[in-house]
Order: sequence, then structure tokens, then C-alpha cells
Amino acid sequence: MEKNLDRIMEQILSNTDILGCIFTDKQGLCIGAKGRATPESAGYIAAIANQVAKLEPNKETPIITLENDNQKCIIQNIGPITGAIYKNI
Amino acid sequence: MAEEIKKHLQDILNKIDGLQCILFTDRDGVPLLKVNTEKVPESVVKPSFISTFCLAIDQGSKLGLGRTSNLICIYSQHQIVQMNKLPIIITFVASENCNTGQILALEKQLDSVVGVLTSTVAET
Repeated sequence: MEKNLDRIMEQILSNTDILGCIFTDKQGLCIGAKGRATPESAGYIAAIANQVAKLEPNKETPIITLENDNQKCIIQNIGPITGAIYKNI
Repeated sequence: MAEEIKKHLQDILNKIDGLQCILFTDRDGVPLLKVNTEKVPESVVKPSFISTFCLAIDQGSKLGLGRTSNLICIYSQHQIVQMNKLPIIITFVASENCNTGQILALEKQLDSVVGVLTSTVAET
């Protein structure tokens, strides 16, 4: 069942500069994680996406970027799924 | 010491949206430490309810998947997450739409509290 998701995550990781990716459901439970992303972070990623979406409730779901000097984490919620990608800058 | 731990737990309780109670008990469901909001239903924190977890993990281990570590029950109005840290059981009571993953991620954060309580239970 998760073969498709695995394939998509492999495709994402094959891009240069991508360090890891993770997908979670609305409850913050990990659907899949590869690379640098850990399943333990699933809850926090879903929580960040939910909280930030409250800033503008009537707009489309936002794309959230957390950034430090050399890496960034991009989070987006689409429907019941929240995805996050860890990337080198 | 107990006050410090309670404050730490209260901070965690406030940080997670929908989390209503964190309860540490021994294997018989006897409460050792509890922080909660007013919303928690009384029946959930009764020893008879919590000790059912011990029976459930015994059954769970028969599935051949190893030791049961967590038990998540989602009901129509609440969800209960219980963690196996025997001789300590940690019980979280939250609203049904609370972020389950965030509760599960608390496991490592609570290791120090479990350590203190385990040594206390062992001494008595």
C-alpha cells in the first residue's frame, strides 16, 4: 500500500540538496519518513501546519519555511496530509 | 522537587492544544502524579480504568510483535494515550482532535520524570 508513497519519497530525495522528507496525517501520526527526517517529528510538523493555518483561516493553506544558516524545512498541508521537506540552502 | 516536576508537566500541558491531563500511575492504577485541566471526565482517571492497560498490554504481547509500548484509544469525545514504562504507566487524556503525534513525541521529554518516579516506587 505504501509503495507509491515510498517511490515518491525516493524521487524527492533524489533531488540535489534535499536531505529528508516526512508525511503526516491530521492527527500528527507519521505516514512516511525518509532521509534526515525522523518519525518523532511528525507531531510537531502537523502542529506547526495547523497553528500557522489559523493566522489566515479563510485563505489557502500556507507554505511554511523554517530556515537557519545552512538548512531549511518547508512545510505544507494539503487536505488531510501534511508534508515537510528538509533542504540545504 | 514534586512542585518543580508538576510545574514542568503543567507547562507541557499548556503547550499542546487539546491535552487535558497527564497522569503517572503505578501498574495498579494508583495515581502518583497528576496535572489536569477542568475538562477531564472523572471516569477516565479512576484506577479501575487505568489498570485495564496492564491487561491490554499483556494481551498485546501475545501478538508476537514484541513488548507493547503505547496504547492509543480514540473515542467520540476524547482520546487516551497510555505509555508502558513499567512499573510506571503514563496516561494522557486529550480531546478527540488533539495531535496524537505530538503526545507520542513527549515520551523522551518525560523520561527524567519516569526515572524519578521509578526509583520512588522501587523504594516503597
